[in-house]
Amino acid sequence: MLKVENLGVRYGAVAAVRDLSLSVGQGELVALLGPNGAGKSSTINALTGLVAPSAGRIVLDGQDISRVRTEDRIRAGLTSTPEGRRIFANLTVGENLRLGAATRRDPKGVRQDMERFLALFPVLSERYAQAAGTLSGGEQQMLAIARSLMSRPKLLLLDEPSLGLAPKIVVRIFDFIGQLKAEGLTLLVVEQNARQALRFADRVYVMSSGVLRFDGPPSGLADEHGLLNLYIGG
Amino acid sequence: MARTEVARSEMSQAIENTAPVAATRPGGALARSLIGGLVTSLPVLVVGLLILNFAPTYHTFLALGAFVNLIVVVGLQVFMGNSNIANLGHSAFVGLGAYGVAILSTPLAMKKLSIPNAPFGFATLELDPVSSALLALLAVGILALISGKVISRLSGVAATIVSLALLIIVHSVFLNWTDLFKGNQAFFGIPKVVGLPWMMVMSVVVIVLARLFKDSRWGMQLRASAQSPQAAAALGIDARRLRLMSWVLSALICGLAGVLYAYFAGTISPKLFYFQMIFMTLAMLILGGMATVTGAVTGVIVLSVGLEFIRSIESGVTIAGIQLPQLLGLSGVALGVVIVLCMAFRPSGISGRYELDELLSRFFRHAK
Amino acid sequence: MDYALQQLLNALAFGAEYSLVALGLAVVFSIMGLVNFAHGEIIGVSAYSVFLAAALGLTSPIVAVLLAIAAAALAAIAFERVAFRPVRYAPTTTGLLTAFGVSIVVQNLFMLLISPKPQSVSILNGLNQMWFFGPFAVSSLQVMELIVSGLTILALVLFLNRSTLGLAIRAASRDFATVRLMGIRANRVIATAFAVSGALAGIAAVFIMARRGSVSPDLGFSLVLKAFVACVIGGFGSLPGAAVGGMLLGFIEVGLLVVLPQEYGGFKDALTYVIIVALLVYRPEGLLGQRVELGDKEI
Ligand SMILES: Nc1ncnc2c1ncn2[C@@H]1O[C@H](COP(=O)(O)OP(=O)(O)O)[C@@H](O)[C@H]1O
Ligand SMILES: [Mg+2]
Repeated sequence: MLKVENLGVRYGAVAAVRDLSLSVGQGELVALLGPNGAGKSSTINALTGLVAPSAGRIVLDGQDISRVRTEDRIRAGLTSTPEGRRIFANLTVGENLRLGAATRRDPKGVRQDMERFLALFPVLSERYAQAAGTLSGGEQQMLAIARSLMSRPKLLLLDEPSLGLAPKIVVRIFDFIGQLKAEGLTLLVVEQNARQALRFADRVYVMSSGVLRFDGPPSGLADEHGLLNLYIGG
Repeated sequence: MARTEVARSEMSQAIENTAPVAATRPGGALARSLIGGLVTSLPVLVVGLLILNFAPTYHTFLALGAFVNLIVVVGLQVFMGNSNIANLGHSAFVGLGAYGVAILSTPLAMKKLSIPNAPFGFATLELDPVSSALLALLAVGILALISGKVISRLSGVAATIVSLALLIIVHSVFLNWTDLFKGNQAFFGIPKVVGLPWMMVMSVVVIVLARLFKDSRWGMQLRASAQSPQAAAALGIDARRLRLMSWVLSALICGLAGVLYAYFAGTISPKLFYFQMIFMTLAMLILGGMATVTGAVTGVIVLSVGLEFIRSIESGVTIAGIQLPQLLGLSGVALGVVIVLCMAFRPSGISGRYELDELLSRFFRHAK
Repeated sequence: MDYALQQLLNALAFGAEYSLVALGLAVVFSIMGLVNFAHGEIIGVSAYSVFLAAALGLTSPIVAVLLAIAAAALAAIAFERVAFRPVRYAPTTTGLLTAFGVSIVVQNLFMLLISPKPQSVSILNGLNQMWFFGPFAVSSLQVMELIVSGLTILALVLFLNRSTLGLAIRAASRDFATVRLMGIRANRVIATAFAVSGALAGIAAVFIMARRGSVSPDLGFSLVLKAFVACVIGGFGSLPGAAVGGMLLGFIEVGLLVVLPQEYGGFKDALTYVIIVALLVYRPEGLLGQRVELGDKEI
């Protein structure tokens, strides 16, 4: 479904990502692991087009989207839930969800999806008309994911959904991610929390200092001596 | 702890970015800055000497105007170039300087005609030009200090708007306090004591001053804090105080320009020190490049020549026997277009990041 | 009593006009961080469009009003397209200076292409009459200014809270990148914000023409300077702040007119600015502003 070839991202003189190639197949959940500053978010932002890659190709469903604008990539079915959640704090929970569905033209379907997520996350339903900024971190993360799903993406990129959240909440969020996978959604999950990310992963990539270090099944990661500790620290 | 570390490295990077030729020893830096200022004023001196020796009177008069603009633009650079905050009110200080000497130094016989009812005994006061200039600059300094106290506390955008408000306040006082400023009418009879030589000397002094401030610790810290305010604050740099400092210095230089203008033209009126002057000097600074004093000088030279050409068309020229109509507004359009195009395609202006002496020394190093 | 009421109406009418213009500035600033000095020239384009249409034979005031609003909205969109898009991601000072440049260009184009002198426009004079309510005589224009501004602000609030594009504008004021991640086109959001801002300016232009009966190249410039001050005092980038700041400015001005002796009337503007600047000494962030500027966005 997604194929990335020799991707490079630079910020001025700093090369954040170098010669990175990866792929995500239909229905797969792929984990991209790496320590802080490895270039994971830069990769995700290059995939959505928020930063312009300095090299390489991004192919979605056989179409080269490297030069397509962010908005059109979202319309083509690729969505990301950005690092740090980035909910619209000054809008209500309901308004956040509505903006998630901004590209859709089927009001009935939108309403159904909205009801589904509100049923799934009762907190969101209770706080529907409140400013989203008043939600707790975990609730904000759920809102952010739900908001991304409102556009009915084919491929969802999640950037560190566990960031800054209590362990119990992280488990719940990954339960939900597992459920999404079971429903057939294709996912690329960026994480520092390897244990959670590997629960449902079909394949794993590990990167550090902008370079891919490992590519294989989760079991392979345990085999490679000390790799987990070296790059991820647990 | 860690935060300070990050701040420190960001800071040194910022300082490096703003000061490409890093200072080695404090004494050496001062000398280099002084020499740099003198090198930067060389083109000005050359142009001035050429005009002094060869130009007809009309061109000398134009040149004097251009020198006044030069001093204003250099003054503007001191604040805008270092704090990176747009100032749209500086001609208020030019006006105050000019009116200051007009009120203090105009001969009593003239004052009987122009401001017979001036308050505070100004109607019967006549000082020599130098004391008048110093007192006028004192007034400018006081106004700058008061306005600067407000402006240095505000965020960039609000500061710009307040600078505009200052312009309007001062202009409105010139217009309405007719007993003192003669209102809308021209204030004439100011002693004409300044010619081209003095103007050149003052230009050089001002250019060197601007350079010394830019290369000083304060100038560097101010530019660094404009680039990354958090990093600067974490290092204990008091950005407000530095902004205030550059604001006052900038105002004094602009005030000096006003003093010199009054002393060479002999006649002034409020509209000289209003938006027209703001537009023009701002365009000059932007075109030349506001990051450097060299930019200020370059912009004034290029636009002064360009505008004179446009003005000759504006007033209706005869080409091949056909009299073209007057095209009022043409020079305004040109100024605006210069600003817009510069901002879109070359925000750093003609001269970019480097001063003239820095460019020359780089050039010679490469040539070797 | 009559006098007090009359002055109250004056203050409200002035304030309403400042609020409209200040809101237009704030809408654009809040999402783009652009300090649009050319807003006054949007008012100018609107007014000169009506002037030209009248010169070409337009007689219907209603059409003139619609034309004024449409021309202003289009002018705002055109300014964005031509001049502001190249500096969209540039620092605030760059955008501010660009807008200042656009303002100079357009003002001078009015001089060059039409005339430096004021031109008479009488098509909207009918809006400016005296209405008699028993013993009271009020200016129809002031009453309309008040009502129309109120309705316009209400419509703006509804638009920003109900429509998807309105929501996107509010969201973009905090985080433009994430709005794009919703698949909402940045260009569309920005064009809409400019159109809204322009339409507000167009309504103000109608009032100005009806009051003055003429157009001149600097028609909108001084009004916009005041609106900027209203924005600063309300808290730059805050929409409620712009509305409140505009009203406050109206009250300060009319208050000064009442208090100042006739011979000092010329100092009204200067004193207004002095008062506002003095207020800023106590609240540098404005009345409804936040310490963090709304304009600072991350990627
Ligand atoms: N906007 C930016 N400007 C400059 N450097 C950046 C920017 N964003 C990230 N970087 C740098 O790029 C590298 C990779 O960052 P990032 O992609 O955020 O890593 P990760 O998400 O794996 O923590 C880091 O060294 C970071 O400092
Ligand atoms: Mg990251």
